[in-house]
Amino acid sequence: MGLRRRPVTRCGAVLLLTCATTVACAADWELDLDLRLLTSDGQKSALDGGPGALRFGEADSGLQPGRLRFAFTQALGELWAVHVDASSWGDHEKNPIDLTEAFLQYRPYPFDGLRARVKAGAFYAPISLENRAAGWESPYTLSASAINSWVAEELRTVGVEGQLEWLGTRLGHDFDLSLTGAVFGWNDPAGTIMAEHGFMLDDRQSTLFGRVGPPGATSQAPQLFHEIDGRPGVYAGVEARYYDRIVVRALRYDNRADPSAVDATLQEFAWLTRFNSAGVRYEGASGWTAISQWLDGETYIQPGATRLGWPFDAKFLLLSRRFGAHTLSARYDRFQVRFESNGANDSTPQDGHAWTVAYAFTPSARWRFTLEWVSVASASSTRQSYGLPPGMLTERKLELAVRCALGPALE
Amino acid sequence: MRPSARQEPEKTRAGRITTLLGAMLCLVRTVGISAATVSVTVQGTDGHPVPGAVITVYSLLGEGHPSAPVHAVMDQVNRAFAPDLLVIPVGSSVEFPNSDSVSHQIYSFSPAKRFQLPLYRGKPYPPERFEQAGVVTLGCNIHDEMLAYLVVTDAPFFGRTDVAGTWTTEIPRGKYRVAVWHPRMRDDSTELDRELTVGEGDRASLTLRLAKPLRPAPLGERPHSWDAY
Repeated sequence: MGLRRRPVTRCGAVLLLTCATTVACAADWELDLDLRLLTSDGQKSALDGGPGALRFGEADSGLQPGRLRFAFTQALGELWAVHVDASSWGDHEKNPIDLTEAFLQYRPYPFDGLRARVKAGAFYAPISLENRAAGWESPYTLSASAINSWVAEELRTVGVEGQLEWLGTRLGHDFDLSLTGAVFGWNDPAGTIMAEHGFMLDDRQSTLFGRVGPPGATSQAPQLFHEIDGRPGVYAGVEARYYDRIVVRALRYDNRADPSAVDATLQEFAWLTRFNSAGVRYEGASGWTAISQWLDGETYIQPGATRLGWPFDAKFLLLSRRFGAHTLSARYDRFQVRFESNGANDSTPQDGHAWTVAYAFTPSARWRFTLEWVSVASASSTRQSYGLPPGMLTERKLELAVRCALGPALE
Repeated sequence: MRPSARQEPEKTRAGRITTLLGAMLCLVRTVGISAATVSVTVQGTDGHPVPGAVITVYSLLGEGHPSAPVHAVMDQVNRAFAPDLLVIPVGSSVEFPNSDSVSHQIYSFSPAKRFQLPLYRGKPYPPERFEQAGVVTLGCNIHDEMLAYLVVTDAPFFGRTDVAGTWTTEIPRGKYRVAVWHPRMRDDSTELDRELTVGEGDRASLTLRLAKPLRPAPLGERPHSWDAY
């Protein structure tokens, strides 16, 4: 990726993990170990400082650590709960273990069919309809869609989110409705990876204090969750549910960054990132699931008088069928990043599509086996900086994952 | 009348007297006035039987009195209410123990009875009394998938349909209004009310066919007692 990340003391993460371990004695906790066996013909991954669109490139073929995760949820009195999710990804992460989410939640009793919920801390915005399993994983595939891979890489709400839910189905109606709004900070660099590299398809979630990049490139990777201009960002979303069969979501995100602001120490711009996101998920009694999401937005900076913008859009359709403990899924992704200088469309730094097919076998809550094949075809001007041709290139990966989970949270 | 297996008569003196009077009335009904076997069948729009529907039978000529209150128990086992639907006479009390290792909260915002039982395990709370007829929807504020219903009724006769969609009981001869309710029913329950005259003869039967399809059953792996349709 070749971008900067400020070295951050690992004390925070280690301290939090220590607290987590102590509190976990009385909490709902879960420990997951995920190992991978794979073969890939992809280029060196962007996560390792290359131009590749997959998590594992050709040189990574063989046995790889997938994720070591520890999470706990602790009720604090009657209506409060704290959730901490820590992971080790086994790559060049600066902190051996770091947080992907950590938040405090307040959830009072419903009143007259309305229920409020407030979250404060660091967590995901309600965008993904496929990352619905514990640890923000997908029960359908190993690699998330291009949209949700980007969400995992660059977005985290570090702030406060409020939700008001109308429990229509509990009142005899066919629908539940909810409105969500958030105010957040520390997400000014969101857009850096989009502009530098474009979309990827992977399951590597950025951590709150971490850094990803080639070994020894600590100062060359972006610090993603960082406040630069002191202006809070906002998002607002709506969700409608038809029982547990259909979910429809829409969200407007604006990090309200000042595109001319620069952090002199980090030599990093504040990236003004705005997008609209929408999605629908259908689940049928016969075991079929269909998910489609759409994302359209732009990120830009303004060094001096020139406004440099990267409009982006992506969509996917996933179909999945469950047969008892077996799940077969297929997904098609389409994604594009353009480049504009002062509003004029100059070029298309990335244009691609991807096919993903996965088979998951979940004999129990403890074990999960997933076999996934991904093929990403993209034209990418990023490859030129590595001395490679930018034209259409197909990267493929066949990956077997074995995950073992422990803890009372599985019961 | 066929109370649920989990319901027990109240152990108070007043409860015992009421139960005794009820039993005597039943005896009078069955022996003195002579009763007939009544069966009510509920069918979906496609004619298939609807199990788990609640049938309430009200007298139009004054026969029968509201059933005596009972003391019922609704437990919480494996993050589900057990049983998940109770039909109880007005004035009954229900105990809500939690047999799970995890804590639960119970809430209801139904007009018939609004109440909350804050986070608990075991059996720390006294029974809740239900004085108003109506449907009380119960949930747990921590485990959203937990759902149960209490149907509080002032009908003298009530019960639930079996797997064949049928409920059978002994009722004195007379004129009645039969009502049906199901957690997934879209029909306005008053539109499905039927009059039933139990006259000479030993048997009377009634088939109620829903006009609208039932709401979809949840996709979870543990269906409720009303999800078999």
